Amino acid sequence: MKTENKAFAHSTLLLWLIVGWAGFCLVPWYGIEDGFFGFEWLSDGYPFDPDYAPALFLILQGKKIWLASVVPFMILPVIALFRIKSDPVFGKVLVVCGALGFGILLGQGFIIGLKGWQFGWLEQLFGPLGDRQFGMGYGALFMASAFLFIFTQGIAARGAVNGDVFVVSSIGFVVTIVAIFVFFPIISMLLSAFIGEDKAYSISVFIDKITDNRLWSLSCITGGQKCGAAWNSFALAVLVGITTTVLGLAFALVVTRTGFRYKKLLRAMSVLPIITPPFVIGLAIILLFGLSGSFTVFFSDLFGFQPTRWVYGLPGILIAQILAFTPIAFLVMIGVVEGVSPSMEEASQTLRANKWETFVNVSLPLMRPGIANAFLLGFIESMADFGNPLVLGGNFDVLSTEIFYAIVGAQYDQARAASIALVLLFFTLAAFYAQRFWLGKKSYTTMTGKGDSGVYSQLPSRVSKPVFLIVAAWTAFTLLIYAMIFYGSFVELWGVNNTLTFKHYITAFSARIGEHGIHWTGSAWDSFWTTLKIAGISAPLTAAVGLVTAYLLTRQNFAGKNAFEFGTMLSFAIPGTVIGVSYILAFNVPPLELTGTGIILVISFVFRNMPVGVRAGIASMTQLDKSLDESSLTLGANSWQTFINVILPLLKPAILAALVYSFVRAMTAISAVIFLVSAEYNMATSYIIGRVENNDYGLAIAYSTSLIAVMLTVVALMQLIVGKTKIGRRSGQSGAKP
Amino acid sequence: MNTFGKITLGFALALSATSASVSIASAAKLTLYCSAQEDWCQLMARGFEEASGIKVNLTRKSSGETFAQIKAEEANPKGDVWWGGTGDPHLQAAEEGLSEPYVSPMRAKLNGWAVSQAKSADDKTIGIYSGALGYGYNADLLNAAGLPVPACWKDLLKPEYKGHVQMANPNSSGTAYTTLATIVQLFGEDEGFEFMKKLHVNINQYTKSGSAPIKAAGRGENTIGIVFMHDAVKQAVSGFPIKVVAPCEGTGYEIGSMSLIKGGRNPESAKKFYDWALSADVQSRSLEVKAFQVMSNMNAKSSPSAPDLSTIKLIDYDFKKYGSSAERKRLLKKWDDEVSVLPQ
Amino acid sequence: MKLKQNSKAASVSFKNVTKIYGKDVIAVDDVSLSIEAGTLVTLLGPSGCGKTTTLRMIAGLEMCSSGTVEIGDVDVTTLPATDRDVSMVFQSYALFPHMSVLENVSYGLKFSGFKKNEISERAIAGLELVGLSEYGARLPSELSGGQQQRVAVARALVLEPQVLLFDEPLSNLDAKLRRQVREEIREIQQNLGLTVVYVTHDQEEALAVSDRIIVMKNAVIAQDGTPRDLYDAPANRFVADFIGEANILPCEIAAIKAEIAKVKIGDYSLNLPSRGLDKGSALLAVRPNRVIIGKSKPNKNLPGKIIRLTYVGNHLEFTIATEFENLFATSSDVNSEFKVGDDVAITFADKGPVLLES
Repeated sequence: MKTENKAFAHSTLLLWLIVGWAGFCLVPWYGIEDGFFGFEWLSDGYPFDPDYAPALFLILQGKKIWLASVVPFMILPVIALFRIKSDPVFGKVLVVCGALGFGILLGQGFIIGLKGWQFGWLEQLFGPLGDRQFGMGYGALFMASAFLFIFTQGIAARGAVNGDVFVVSSIGFVVTIVAIFVFFPIISMLLSAFIGEDKAYSISVFIDKITDNRLWSLSCITGGQKCGAAWNSFALAVLVGITTTVLGLAFALVVTRTGFRYKKLLRAMSVLPIITPPFVIGLAIILLFGLSGSFTVFFSDLFGFQPTRWVYGLPGILIAQILAFTPIAFLVMIGVVEGVSPSMEEASQTLRANKWETFVNVSLPLMRPGIANAFLLGFIESMADFGNPLVLGGNFDVLSTEIFYAIVGAQYDQARAASIALVLLFFTLAAFYAQRFWLGKKSYTTMTGKGDSGVYSQLPSRVSKPVFLIVAAWTAFTLLIYAMIFYGSFVELWGVNNTLTFKHYITAFSARIGEHGIHWTGSAWDSFWTTLKIAGISAPLTAAVGLVTAYLLTRQNFAGKNAFEFGTMLSFAIPGTVIGVSYILAFNVPPLELTGTGIILVISFVFRNMPVGVRAGIASMTQLDKSLDESSLTLGANSWQTFINVILPLLKPAILAALVYSFVRAMTAISAVIFLVSAEYNMATSYIIGRVENNDYGLAIAYSTSLIAVMLTVVALMQLIVGKTKIGRRSGQSGAKP
Repeated sequence: MNTFGKITLGFALALSATSASVSIASAAKLTLYCSAQEDWCQLMARGFEEASGIKVNLTRKSSGETFAQIKAEEANPKGDVWWGGTGDPHLQAAEEGLSEPYVSPMRAKLNGWAVSQAKSADDKTIGIYSGALGYGYNADLLNAAGLPVPACWKDLLKPEYKGHVQMANPNSSGTAYTTLATIVQLFGEDEGFEFMKKLHVNINQYTKSGSAPIKAAGRGENTIGIVFMHDAVKQAVSGFPIKVVAPCEGTGYEIGSMSLIKGGRNPESAKKFYDWALSADVQSRSLEVKAFQVMSNMNAKSSPSAPDLSTIKLIDYDFKKYGSSAERKRLLKKWDDEVSVLPQ
Repeated sequence: MKLKQNSKAASVSFKNVTKIYGKDVIAVDDVSLSIEAGTLVTLLGPSGCGKTTTLRMIAGLEMCSSGTVEIGDVDVTTLPATDRDVSMVFQSYALFPHMSVLENVSYGLKFSGFKKNEISERAIAGLELVGLSEYGARLPSELSGGQQQRVAVARALVLEPQVLLFDEPLSNLDAKLRRQVREEIREIQQNLGLTVVYVTHDQEEALAVSDRIIVMKNAVIAQDGTPRDLYDAPANRFVADFIGEANILPCEIAAIKAEIAKVKIGDYSLNLPSRGLDKGSALLAVRPNRVIIGKSKPNKNLPGKIIRLTYVGNHLEFTIATEFENLFATSSDVNSEFKVGDDVAITFADKGPVLLES
């Protein structure tokens, strides 16, 4: 049985060689205008039409001759087929061919673009090319994958990571896609910040844009007009970070350390803002506190003052963001607050500290990691938030909206957008490192794995009273906002005509049975189906990529693991607006032309939400004893079979978490999406923003309400589908029993 | 069994599910670049598909972006028709030879301003709609605050309107730039900038997007918004208490245009679309998407509430001069340096 | 069907194997060893000595940093675990919690190219062998610790591997069960003629089951031999102390004649095999049961005083203060009249005490 394994290595190699050659000889080399999944080319001049021709046919016709440069590296690996795996030639040939082939393939794509040579010096060197190429398509994709996996097989044969082909290939695959879809866009953005109007790179352009007074002015402090967007964003983010952390802590304390009776309600409510599409909260706030808002009017009538536009600007954004992000802080804090072992507090009390002293000296410091994380999340979410400032910003400019208008406004200044995005990225990464620095190397672990029989001590009353007040006020406010939203979806024209109606739901979601089945006549259906589809596709992909990455990080040792981890977590610290801009810059031109497709949306979701999948995966995988995989390996299963048969079934909770999170985020995200949607692939959130811009509030809110309902249903369905693995007491897994 | 390829295969399979619908090969098709509002673009694309059976590939981008794209694709154009969007970039495309001259049989039925737009560009573009600049106010708020009803540009400078006027930032909005250019053409550059400075004192917010001021007014969040009049009409028709004002001194306007892209792959379909888009029936459908611009076909129905261009005093807007990027930059810089920094 | 005598049992050999973790943590240092086919060899040593790393290098779960590993005369140094014909029983059993007992036992067979009916036949035979044929449908969590242990053994056995590895398989069982299971393991190993490498830190367990014991300390082999060799002739102080208990006393070799050394401890002297040592100071290792406690007499003996006396059922344990060190002694005479505080005269049995290098 063991002799088959040598053949196996070769059969994998053979498979990839076939894929590579198919990419070269059979399928169209360049991207097809009708989209990745349009198959019109089959009947439209293939294989001779240069638009649809495979590389081989192009070269035979004397076009794009440079593509021939990859051929040798597809021929040479054939030699390896006739060598055994442990022959050093086998590994060497594959490594060299894979690396060079992949490099040349990518290189030619970057060197020769839409207008021939992409670099001036090449033109000077070789003269004008007289030919050009578009974005890569099936052919290039097949061949690039083939080169990549030929390379990883070579590396594995040379003994990397115990010679495990699956692990090396997975690492190669994840590294490649992270490089392409995280690092490449960011680098493109960095570069484009240096491009001046004459399309030439220049440092001074960059310095001009990045030191722009509109970003860094401090005149609001010195009594002038208004401050720069960078300072505004920073101040807002700090305020939001602090407030949401305090509120989140208060909530967590109420749930764990008081006799509060409606804990379940609180937990359920905390989920609401996460599944609420953007703008909705902002809208509700305008309708309550705006110049003509219900509250403003009521109080101005009552006390006889002139209504003002106070809510526009910092106050409005602050309220909306606090409403939206407090639940996230709560979810972070509850884990930490529950994690503080009661025996620590009991120990403190037996050492003659009273409740208050215990709380201040023991409980709070032990919650430090949670506090840091909650603050960081609040900070980053606020920095990246786009919907609320758009609706409520007034004259208070923030970075995320500045980026948006630099791209879509009349300025159409990509370089400016890129440099603002860099400022934003700088702030979030700085916060990331500040957090690490603050936490330092102290240990905050209090869970020992041993049974902890203590009981959480109740909060001292000097803490519990204000905490209760805060929680009650917040809860009432949130409930009010959501009640208003629900109500708003049923009135004719909120604030103007309060007649109850189903009109908005009908406009959005009407359907009639016609001769060819159901006609989806409602205006929202298009974006609704697209959103469901994109979210439905990206959720499992996110979970898959995330879990494979988590598996590599927890279970395998390889050189550069730390850098690998940083790379996969990077996209978490990058605000969505920045992702959106960088994707446009990177994927709008050959060789990777993805803008306007559904694929770019899927990809952006996968990489934006991947860190959550990775974290969830790591958390559950560290609880699985490593001997489980090892025993599977010694029983003759390879890593792939082990992953499928042993690890995955035991990871269902993590899978579910990753699925739900990425699905919900894909349904409600706006910041990156707004740059990436196209007429064909419009998402619900960008449709809603369009309705908001048209003052179709009723429709926007009705749509949002429906989305919330849909998300709740889908989440429940996922729970059913993924199901639970029956594992009883798990004694086989935790192993050692005292 | 052991192939690692499974993972990648799975990835690819999942991706392939993205395919909306595998497009069925049909002979005739059309790639439409549209620079109007989304629902109007959709209406045009789907409407033409129904009317002609020709499959339409629609790409919606702002007029600036579309111009950049057509220029980038010059050597191998992918689009066929560029429909909608303000006239400046269309004229520029004509000037740079990116568009094809075409004299439509429909031309006889068009308004004079549309035809003169075509003539000024050697028939390489044509007006499809036009909209005049003006402002709108929220009548309820105006009454509640006891303010007089404005009728002219200069009325807006009255101190009692302080904090009640909104316009977009000319740096980010084409509408606001048209406002600036109109004021400069109307009053002369020096007096025009004096006007902008005084107006600045009354402005409560410079919005990012051009139509935002009137939308805010519709919701009751602002009293007076300087916008294109058709945007104001749209609010009024939606049921908001908005009154539209055509300023007494006269005002500027934009001409939304259409061009055939030179070297497009489906010239026959493109011409069919061109003629179809100029027909009265089609132009009348703009009301379905609440587009209250004046349409170029004389027989196109217009809403009774739409501004009647024939009764509005229009200035002789110099599209060539004020559309040029040098002049645009100069004015914007001057506005930035002299107006926006003043205290309010 | 029944599991037959294993014809595939193979030898294992390490040649100058070194394993380094990270930059400078040496887990196994230039170790060479060979294990004959069909024998049970134990790797014994305190925690951190490198015994588990050695075992995992045989399994292919760790790759050696240098040196070669051979199984059945085939160089497997770079082969991963999957590709080696070795199975392993883990300390934590590592039963897959989401599979039934039968599925667990069939797991490895699935990847070994057996036909479906053969898989279940073999799996059932394996369960029969460990006496659990009734339990195939249960989940591991529904079995007791000893039963889980036996499932783990069956799961490894049914693959008829070239080498079967045990990583402290009994450490989670209580004392009685431990003895029972270890006897079962030994019996199966001998009946099937398996090559077994067994890791433990329990010297009693090692002595009981092994054909040969390899004692490891600080990443190197301290001694390699049969249980009796190790117990009766430890190579050094560490082995003497680790295998069974030993009193280690400093002594002086006064003279050597025909490989017999005259050894002096204070005034007490005795004759022992010299084991290649030269005159001069040395160490003497004496097992507690080789310490003879007598009434105080002035002649050749080691005077001492009983400072602790513990009754542990089948024997007595003494702690005796002497001028060198406290001695630990046992006596099977539970009716002895000695009590704490008595002065005693100590002598050593003729056989048993061993000279060691100092």
